[in-house]
Amino acid sequence: MVASTASAAVGRGKMKTVSLQVNGRAASMEVEERTLLADALRDELGLTGTHIGCDTSQCGCCTLQMDGHTVKSCTVLALQAEGSAITTIEGLAPADNLHVVQKAFSNCHGLQCGFCTPGMIMATIELLGHTPDPTDDQIRQGLSGNLCRCTGYLNIEASVRAAAAELATQKASLPEPRTSVPGGRGRR
Amino acid sequence: MDLMRHEDKRLITGTGKFSADWNFPGQCHVAVVRSVHAHARINRVDTSAAESTPGVLMVLTAADVTAARMSPIPSGPDIKGVGGQVISKGELPILAIDRVRFVGQPVAMVVAETANAAHDACEVVEVDYEVLPVVASVEQALQDDAVELHWNVDGNKPLVFESGDEAAVNQAFANAHKTSSITINSQRLYGAPMEPKAIVVNHDAARGVTVVHTPTQGMLGMRASLVAVTGIPAEQLEIVAQDVGGSFGLRGGPGPEHALLILAARRLQRPVKWVAQRSELFIGEWHGRGLTLAGSLALDKDNKITAIRFEDHANLGAYNCYFGGFIGTNNLSVTMGGAYQVPALYMRSTLVLTNTVPVSAYRGAGRPDIAFAIERLIDHAATEHGLDPVEFRRKNFIKKSAFPYTTANGSVYDCGDFHTVLDKALDLADYKNFSQRRQSALAADKLRGIGIGYYVEKSGAGGAPKDEVSCHFNADGTLTLHAVSGPSGQGHETAYAQIMGEGLGIDPQHINYQAGNPAQKLVGNGTGGSRSLYGTGSAFKNLIDIVIETATPFAARHLNVNAEDVAFSNGQFMGRNGAKGVSLIELAVGLYGSTGNTEKHPFDVSAETITGANYPNGCHIAEIEIDPETGVCEIVSYNAVDELGNVISPQMVQGQVHGGVVQGAGQAFSEAMIYDASGQLMTGSFMDYAMPRAGAVQSMVTDTYSVPTVLNELGSKGVGESGCSGSLPALSNAMMNALHHVGVGAMDMPYTPHRVWNHLQQAKLENTA
Repeated sequence: MVASTASAAVGRGKMKTVSLQVNGRAASMEVEERTLLADALRDELGLTGTHIGCDTSQCGCCTLQMDGHTVKSCTVLALQAEGSAITTIEGLAPADNLHVVQKAFSNCHGLQCGFCTPGMIMATIELLGHTPDPTDDQIRQGLSGNLCRCTGYLNIEASVRAAAAELATQKASLPEPRTSVPGGRGRR
Repeated sequence: MDLMRHEDKRLITGTGKFSADWNFPGQCHVAVVRSVHAHARINRVDTSAAESTPGVLMVLTAADVTAARMSPIPSGPDIKGVGGQVISKGELPILAIDRVRFVGQPVAMVVAETANAAHDACEVVEVDYEVLPVVASVEQALQDDAVELHWNVDGNKPLVFESGDEAAVNQAFANAHKTSSITINSQRLYGAPMEPKAIVVNHDAARGVTVVHTPTQGMLGMRASLVAVTGIPAEQLEIVAQDVGGSFGLRGGPGPEHALLILAARRLQRPVKWVAQRSELFIGEWHGRGLTLAGSLALDKDNKITAIRFEDHANLGAYNCYFGGFIGTNNLSVTMGGAYQVPALYMRSTLVLTNTVPVSAYRGAGRPDIAFAIERLIDHAATEHGLDPVEFRRKNFIKKSAFPYTTANGSVYDCGDFHTVLDKALDLADYKNFSQRRQSALAADKLRGIGIGYYVEKSGAGGAPKDEVSCHFNADGTLTLHAVSGPSGQGHETAYAQIMGEGLGIDPQHINYQAGNPAQKLVGNGTGGSRSLYGTGSAFKNLIDIVIETATPFAARHLNVNAEDVAFSNGQFMGRNGAKGVSLIELAVGLYGSTGNTEKHPFDVSAETITGANYPNGCHIAEIEIDPETGVCEIVSYNAVDELGNVISPQMVQGQVHGGVVQGAGQAFSEAMIYDASGQLMTGSFMDYAMPRAGAVQSMVTDTYSVPTVLNELGSKGVGESGCSGSLPALSNAMMNALHHVGVGAMDMPYTPHRVWNHLQQAKLENTA
């Protein structure tokens, strides 16, 4: 392709195409083999809600869902995401209909600067997906891969508890329970 | 949808805009070559291989910086010390000229088509270093034969500072009934806001303006420093910071990278982007703390404190940058007497340069350190002389009736009620039943301790002459507020909207806030020193009346009454004739465009306030348990009563306390920036530098008490940094209390399991020896 020849000429490595589904839409991007998923989503698809807070996979700001499970997208090569379904923070609230976890973070003041928040929300969704009624220890375990420097975590833990309670209420009141946890591949 | 804060919607949906989220067509990318040596002469920088790497556009070295006539990074105020000596400064050049003085110091910058290409090319920039002797610690730097870092700084000591009356203190100690001394170490930290530093510079040639997108605490301060560094006139520089991912003092002014990107963007006439890697920020962003404080107090026969003395050392790193010099001098001195009525005070501090990353402000910037030292000293003296730490404090507190109180070294505490706050905290913490809890813990083989920290801190006076604010009424009935203070998580947008909304009877949801809009030409302080609410917020409080006054004649005309017969209440203008009123917003919407200029609504007005420092204070009480088998420490109870004057948003105040306390817990239990003797940083990533994670503090009870200050219109005091000031002494006193109870002496932070376990083993050995 003309484009990739031009890219190579200005200092790109070998380019490859990766095709995947992002927030329910098919996407394709040209990346270097070494490109990380986090960078590809941000730079190629403009999905800047996925943040990058470190370079050692310690901070969890880049946490997203890949095929229904959370991953730190700085630990995944873009090429490894070939054919997978990705949900980022931008895909949680289509048409302004905020996810229960998103609302809970705001209502409980579980964010201050908001930089770690997308990762925290994605980690919480994963946690509540497999542990709908988590103990305090399970909440801390579920957030153990995510750093926050502002809140001291107390209100983040409260957000998780509030979201769990709200999801339980919703589940109880719905005749046919609709999961509020995005199901990765199965998502619209 | 009712969200708690205005800023939340975009932050929980991933639609906020942090600096790295900006992209411009045709942008190129940079990477920085940093020194790998702590101290070395640079004989040669060979950029030829890098320049011929595919995709590389330019490599900047010190020669380019010199040619562009750039100045060094601002080195802070000209503080005076002993005998009127003025601080001598080692200034940080934008790129190292012929010598590097810390690992991580910028040496060259590569500009390339892609970030990867720039990083690759950095690998082939050849720097010929001639390694020099290293002073990696204060002790090494102060040795007689130590290598000197800067020709103009004798003995690596930029300044010896003093405050108070040395003779009076000496006299008091000579007459003392008993004395007590302790040295505390507030170790070097890295503030680590979660958003890594990022800069995107876009030079708009048509307007002749260089736009810099970067995280900052205040656009005007950032711009002023960039003007000083680059020599570019202020009107040709614009700073954009929409969302800022934390600051904690690190983001008051530019680093070398800001100047370099501006240089590259103007020279290439292309947008230039740099997103720092976290590991380069560990060695390339300012560090914090790095203070050693040796305190002594003298007591009379009634155990009243007659004097306090401090001998302090501040490790500034390799260069004087920004607030570095201010922390170990002014900020340690202003509240050195703590909450106590002490007739004689004297402190001396020595500022020291070492081959380490420069130190500047980090949450509290010296105030948590002195609060920590004084409260450790109080507890230590109580322990040493068998005094009850509560009664000892009560006896020596400044009484409520004594305010305004001028300390022996000249600080004026305007108001406070320390006895009441202490009592509230003791109740909250169920202090009186502690011994039962200790017994239960002992039964479970845990060492339990309780600690009180009563802090008094001086929140920021601010460097700007005043805080100005303005407002603009929009066509859709919303109101836009303007000021200088830039948020980085504190919730400015929500707090200012709340103040204005309450005053003007407008739904705060219809009020938005813009920081640092250059077109407004406002004067004011950036965010810092915990002052944004009481400084900028007070100016907004003043703005309320001015808006109402301005709108009243229009309302009178609308209501067909005389202006003096118009009353304003709950957002409505009413005439005395009992006719149906008109709301401020209705009136404003009707008048939109009436000036012939949609940019200027007739109700667009400005206000200001001039307010200096005030003295937030509070009592934090912590309980910890140590597992002697593992050294693992757990905070089992944490109670905080903060005296912050009038509280505007209790939930956001609590958020600030939570965050500050846990940052303090981070310093107490896990964080430390550690250098080896050759000046290599041993803790260069989040894998080695242990910031608190969820569960670090498992519960916290917070409460406030209000003694409103008259020093600002809101009657509020600062809260941003008080969490650190309260938690360092409370947690440390609890630790020492637990250790002392089993006959083990004091130890330094951080209380990591390994260090605590070793300390306990050492004590065991000494006791059996």
